[in-house]
Amino acid sequence: MAQPIASKRFSQDFDWPLFGAALLLSLTSLTEIYSSTMNEPSENYFLRQLAWVILGVILVFIIAAIDYHVLAEHIPVLYVLSLGALVYTLALGRTVSGSKSWVQIGPVNIQPSEIIKMVVVIALARYLSELRQSKYMTLVQIAKAGAICLLPMALVALQPDTGTALTYLPILAVGLFIRGLRPAALIALVLAFVLVLPVSWFFLKDYQKERILTFLEPDRDPLGRGYQVTQSKIAIGSGGFLGKGLFNGTQNQLGFLPTRHTDFIFSVVGEELGFVGVSVTLGLLAFIIFRSIYNAQTARDNLGLFIVMGIVGIYFFHIVENVGMVIGFMPTTGIPLPFLSYGGSSVLTAFVALGLVIGVRRCRYVN
Amino acid sequence: MGITIGGVMRQREESELLRWRSSFVGYVIVSALLVLFFGFWNHQIVKSTYYAQRAEQNRVRDITLLAPRGNIYDRYHRILADNRPSYNIVLIRENSPHTLDQTVATLSPGVGISVEDLLDRINRRRRQLKFRPIILKEDVSVADIAFVMAHRYELPEISVEVQPRRRYLGNEMGAHVLGYVGEVTEAELMNPEFLDYKSGDEVGKAGLERQYNSILRGQDGFKRVIVNNFGREMGQLEEEAPVAGKDLFTTLDLDLQRAAEELIGKRTGAAVALDPRTGEVLALVSKPSFDPNLFATRLSVADWGNLISDPRKPLQNRVIQNHYSPGSVFKIFMAAAGLESEVLNPLETVFCPGYASFYGHTFACWKRGGHGTVGLHGAIVNSCNVFFYNIGKELGIDRISKYATTMGLGRKTGIDLPNEDAGLIPSSEWKQRVYKTAWYPGETISVSIGQGAVSVTPMQAAWAIGGLASGGRLKQPHLVNPEEIKKIGSNARELRSEQYPVHESAVDIIGRAMWGVVNEAGGTGSRARIDGFDVAGKTGTAQVVGRKAQLKGDDFEDHAWFVGFAPYRTPEIVVAVFIENGGHGGEAAAPVAHAIMETYYKKKMGEFDGDLLTKIAQTSGNKKVRN
Repeated sequence: MAQPIASKRFSQDFDWPLFGAALLLSLTSLTEIYSSTMNEPSENYFLRQLAWVILGVILVFIIAAIDYHVLAEHIPVLYVLSLGALVYTLALGRTVSGSKSWVQIGPVNIQPSEIIKMVVVIALARYLSELRQSKYMTLVQIAKAGAICLLPMALVALQPDTGTALTYLPILAVGLFIRGLRPAALIALVLAFVLVLPVSWFFLKDYQKERILTFLEPDRDPLGRGYQVTQSKIAIGSGGFLGKGLFNGTQNQLGFLPTRHTDFIFSVVGEELGFVGVSVTLGLLAFIIFRSIYNAQTARDNLGLFIVMGIVGIYFFHIVENVGMVIGFMPTTGIPLPFLSYGGSSVLTAFVALGLVIGVRRCRYVN
Repeated sequence: MGITIGGVMRQREESELLRWRSSFVGYVIVSALLVLFFGFWNHQIVKSTYYAQRAEQNRVRDITLLAPRGNIYDRYHRILADNRPSYNIVLIRENSPHTLDQTVATLSPGVGISVEDLLDRINRRRRQLKFRPIILKEDVSVADIAFVMAHRYELPEISVEVQPRRRYLGNEMGAHVLGYVGEVTEAELMNPEFLDYKSGDEVGKAGLERQYNSILRGQDGFKRVIVNNFGREMGQLEEEAPVAGKDLFTTLDLDLQRAAEELIGKRTGAAVALDPRTGEVLALVSKPSFDPNLFATRLSVADWGNLISDPRKPLQNRVIQNHYSPGSVFKIFMAAAGLESEVLNPLETVFCPGYASFYGHTFACWKRGGHGTVGLHGAIVNSCNVFFYNIGKELGIDRISKYATTMGLGRKTGIDLPNEDAGLIPSSEWKQRVYKTAWYPGETISVSIGQGAVSVTPMQAAWAIGGLASGGRLKQPHLVNPEEIKKIGSNARELRSEQYPVHESAVDIIGRAMWGVVNEAGGTGSRARIDGFDVAGKTGTAQVVGRKAQLKGDDFEDHAWFVGFAPYRTPEIVVAVFIENGGHGGEAAAPVAHAIMETYYKKKMGEFDGDLLTKIAQTSGNKKVRN
């Protein structure tokens, strides 16, 4: 069922609006990364991001051309390889800001935990779609589905990279919810999650506790952890309706915004492009999500549906956490904004996910 | 494949369910996105003005440009106090990438101040605005500056700030006149006088620095700069240059000042020289002195402790803040009061057997064998106690009090220095008011020779003697001529001028007698004699209480007085010298007065070699510091 990319059929079935939205977001990303790093040209953030985007676009076409059933067929091998990669990272990875989550391949550093989420998405989708038809999942099934997701997640959490590990949870949550949970099981899981929160407090590192405390009370340490959020809110709020204009964000240009080209890129958008720019950007992200949900619902089979909804869960979690963080609605974590934040792993994962969604859509009429 | 129709149905229902649940996930996402959307609405539309202001404050910072204080000059425009540039290491907490502990830990070894001290300094300023610099080390060395510069990138919150600093060229010389500056205190900030001051500002604390603070103080300027998040300047928006304080031209004569300081030397004492014609202060010395330069940088706890706990009280200005028994100097006023009240006939004589009895008590003369028969002239020249006991008895305390007060004692002279003491001239009313008992006539006898409750400051002694010698004309003593202040456009008080009635003949008799004290054979003040310059004067030896009990030791030596003026018919200069525990006035105090008046006379005659004049002129050749 794989089609040559150059064929007319491929072009007809390709989801151009979805791809277009992603390209527009990438353009915004490149512009704002250029704007926020123009005072440190030696780092070449713009050119590096451009290279990642080009690579990502190529990957979209390649992945979209592959039948997702083929991927699902080989997923056990990919899954085991992924676990191996995570163990390798744990053992020999590079430590950046306290977490051993990077491996160096040639000249570039990548974060395996990001791209491996896609493997988990397909693995879980295959498991859920192959279950015997029934209204609700059994406990054993829930446990097995949980294991598929939690095993790699645990390896990421050990790095320790709690933020990225958390982004594995929505894959499981969305998958279980759609596959069907008894009301009692649903309530039990939600309750379990709520109860685990206070217990997990004792397992958190000091800096993590500090982040949560700062989130609850931003003025606690306005020059320390609260500083980022305070400065981000100032940047966004001072952007006003129309923004200060590209390359004119004072908070951005004078360096008041921390990690502004990565995690806080959306503050730069807010400052320089204003409420209008924020609305358009959020709109594009929402379009990607809802178009994906539509693609899931029109997928040829449940495997396609579960793959796309898993991706929707990941996109959604990243967007809500990252955008919520820059206006102080969510605690500070190092979770990037898909398509917008600077960084190879983040960009590639977002585009690979996009390729999967487009691939599912492309195959909907094949029969 | 064996799937039943029912199975297909079930499968279809199943798919519908999955699709419906997917839609449900969509609804959850829509509501979450709406919350985010309204969050942005709130920040960017509703509160955008507030955040725009915050952003403005973030990048614009006002930097204070400290204005130098005005210089202080002597009467010949020789610089007594100016400013020099100095450097402080400061901390700006705003946007610091480090915690205070981290900052302090890195800085501490480099500047040689302990972590505790640094934190203490920061904590004292904890409540001030975060972008206001906190001074961590003042007046730093080149090595300290080099350390900060070398760690500019590691410690962006630490920087070096230039500050004009007070410099007193004569060090200890004239310290009590000039005073010193220091940081404004919390208590002072409550005072309406310091309304436009803020914590950390420098203010005059004593002496002329305090008295004329509003004139000497400059107007700080500011610089509005754009800064990045490390506080590094990226550009400048506007600047208001600091305006230096106004210069102060005093009436002090550095040469006379030095002569007096050198002659008192290491002894404890005071000397003041006035021009009785105008009230101008030519010299004002209090010993021991202190170095006001110590206060220009923040005084170390040890230095301050030394100054405060020194039993000799070096911060005290003995010329105006301490009062002493005038001893025999008071006899001059007794003589004037006696003559004016006509209790004393100029030709009257008294027999002095060395003692006299009044009200059942015996009062001794200082000369055991007695002076024999003495008239007024002889009584002053030889300082006969018995003669004045009799005058005192005739006058009574209230008349003594009235005349002495009229002549300038027992009240503030009004010199333009802070915290002047009024001295004390007792009266029966005073005794009743303070001790609630009647005045004993016997006390009057002690007062007649300047003992007992009567006390004067050296300033009062000079002022009153000068006034009497000038025919009853009292000019308010001053270090800065009000005309000088008017010249620079400030409000100045008018100088007070008093004229009390006194007969020319009385002034002549007393003046002649005081001339005799210095110039006649056997006079007690012969050490003040200057050939060609008719010096008149009176020595005084004030008993220290312990001495009566036959206690020995330096602390129980008598206090020595000498008050004199010259030339005796038309006085141009009046000098009062007081040496604590100095012994006899003629030996301890008169030579100091001699040195002051001799310098004055030599300058007047053009014979002064002026090596000091050259020395100071060289130091003050440095350019005035402007920020």
